Amino acid sequence: MQAKEFKPLPDLPAPLSTTGPIAWLKKNLFSSAFNITVTITITAALFAIIPGVLDWLFFSANWSGTTQADCVKDGACWVFIQAWSQQIFYGSYPGDEIWRVNLSLFLLACVIALSFILPAHLRNKVAVPAYLLLPFICLLFLDGSNIGLKPVSTDLWGGFSLNVLLAAASIIIAFPFGFLWALGRQSHMPFARSVSVTCIEFFRGTPILALFFMGSVMLPLFFPADVSVDKLLRVWIILILFMSAYMAEVFRSGFQAIPQGQYEAADSIGLGYWQKTLLIVFPQVIKIAMPNILATFVMVFKNTVFLLVIAVPEMLQVIMSALSNSNWLGGHAIEGYLFVGFIFWVCCFSMSLLASSIEKKLDTSHKN
Amino acid sequence: MSVDNQSSESTNDKDIIAINNMNKWYGNFHVLKDINLNVKKGERIVICGPSGSGKSTMIRCINRLEEFQRGSLTVNGVEMVEDVKNIEAIRREVGMVFQHFNLFPHLTILENLTLGPIWVQKKPKEEAEAIAMKYLERVKIPDQALKFPGQLSGGQQQRVAIARSLCMSPQIMLFDEPTSALDPEMIKEVLDVMVELADEGMTMLCVTHEMGFAKKVADRVIFMDGGEIVEQNEPHEFFDNPKTDRLQLFLSQILQH
Repeated sequence: MQAKEFKPLPDLPAPLSTTGPIAWLKKNLFSSAFNITVTITITAALFAIIPGVLDWLFFSANWSGTTQADCVKDGACWVFIQAWSQQIFYGSYPGDEIWRVNLSLFLLACVIALSFILPAHLRNKVAVPAYLLLPFICLLFLDGSNIGLKPVSTDLWGGFSLNVLLAAASIIIAFPFGFLWALGRQSHMPFARSVSVTCIEFFRGTPILALFFMGSVMLPLFFPADVSVDKLLRVWIILILFMSAYMAEVFRSGFQAIPQGQYEAADSIGLGYWQKTLLIVFPQVIKIAMPNILATFVMVFKNTVFLLVIAVPEMLQVIMSALSNSNWLGGHAIEGYLFVGFIFWVCCFSMSLLASSIEKKLDTSHKN
Repeated sequence: MSVDNQSSESTNDKDIIAINNMNKWYGNFHVLKDINLNVKKGERIVICGPSGSGKSTMIRCINRLEEFQRGSLTVNGVEMVEDVKNIEAIRREVGMVFQHFNLFPHLTILENLTLGPIWVQKKPKEEAEAIAMKYLERVKIPDQALKFPGQLSGGQQQRVAIARSLCMSPQIMLFDEPTSALDPEMIKEVLDVMVELADEGMTMLCVTHEMGFAKKVADRVIFMDGGEIVEQNEPHEFFDNPKTDRLQLFLSQILQH
């Protein structure tokens, strides 16, 4: 007898009632009596609040002028931000030399862009050294004294550019440090392990504010009287150590997610320890740990505003001193703090987008 | 080292692997008990036994994925001692295929294959890629070279894993249950590759429960239980005329289905 031929059934489209916008609304917003009530209440609340907020923010806001007297309308006084914008972004950095700050920010943007544009085989060879050199090149330019530019004391650096550059410089250096500490923590060598564990637990267990105070007040007491280490440099080192501790734990969680089989396969083809770590483990750890790496970046970036407690003129510190300026007394606090919040939000959100695009790029699992 | 060995072959320099009185403990648990095994160049050995009998542990000792505490092991004339260079020298001679393939998911198939030749054998990239393509053709999937492991079926992944080991031109291939994680339809494609490899004279040690494969290619079948080698024989005698009651029981249980 001849075998019966097997014919697969054709694929049919899904029923209309389960796809499309109406189905979505029904499923997500109006699925039960309780959900209908919640949807209507929230919609009504938004209608009540939003027009007033928009009016204050935009329609009745004061957009042009130079002094407090120009703020005549009921809305927000954005003139305040405008008048202080140079200090907010650049601190007291001399006006003629601001191009150096801009150049540093531009270089940072270039290096980030570079790591996205470069083809895979060049990425590690070019982008990694570029990242690692970046903080020191920026330092040369901003300081200026070593390359024949007008020296600018670090007391004058400030504003939002300081938040950005300091955070970036800390992240870049902390990345390899954190990786080494994480490797050390799971090493079989007692010395490497105990040093790593001590560093990680100390810097992770201490509040960043306490570390800043320690760095600015206590640390100089331990140095000889004639040696003075720049305050910003001390802050940078503290941020690096703090961030490294967090990164080390982030990397460790990544290490633990890598199956034992990956190490065994690497061993069986004869790769040495560093080859195994850098070629097999590291790329997979980065991919697994990407969401947590980003969280740590954002945390450190936001933590830079804590520098105001030791009188480093970062963005929030500038806003606060502007608020107490005698020409601007009388309640621009909401505008000032909203602006700081908005700028930080924009930056952190962009970092989020950047990170998720990196995650997609690294994803080779092809799972659905 | 004078060890009372069951055979006089231990001094035979044709032996590519010589295991003498190997003992291994996990903590206090005695996993391998007095293992003695000599493998000639080109010999194909199938190892079977119930789970927990130490068969995987034994072959993993051969390329030092596991340490053993007592006894000696010589691979291709190099005695295994506690030394990184020595371990690397032995690993270069021994290829291994795992139950769960263990391909590197972040690298393409081609990169998986060229990693060893480029970084361990220091071959130029073009040469490594030529070797890789040669072996991919041998396992019949050259068209998958630029895909990632996640895009391949289990059977294809396991064939890539075999090709990855072959790229290092090993003297010995170890297979640790290479078909246990595969769907029935994919087992054959992997076994076909292994049979071909056996026909070309590769020295093979294979932990498997594919008795058909054992009958077809093995020179010797080894039965392990409780951490020791209970019985070994050429396949015909092994299956038709088991000497110990333990093997009789084992065979009656696996062949009933």
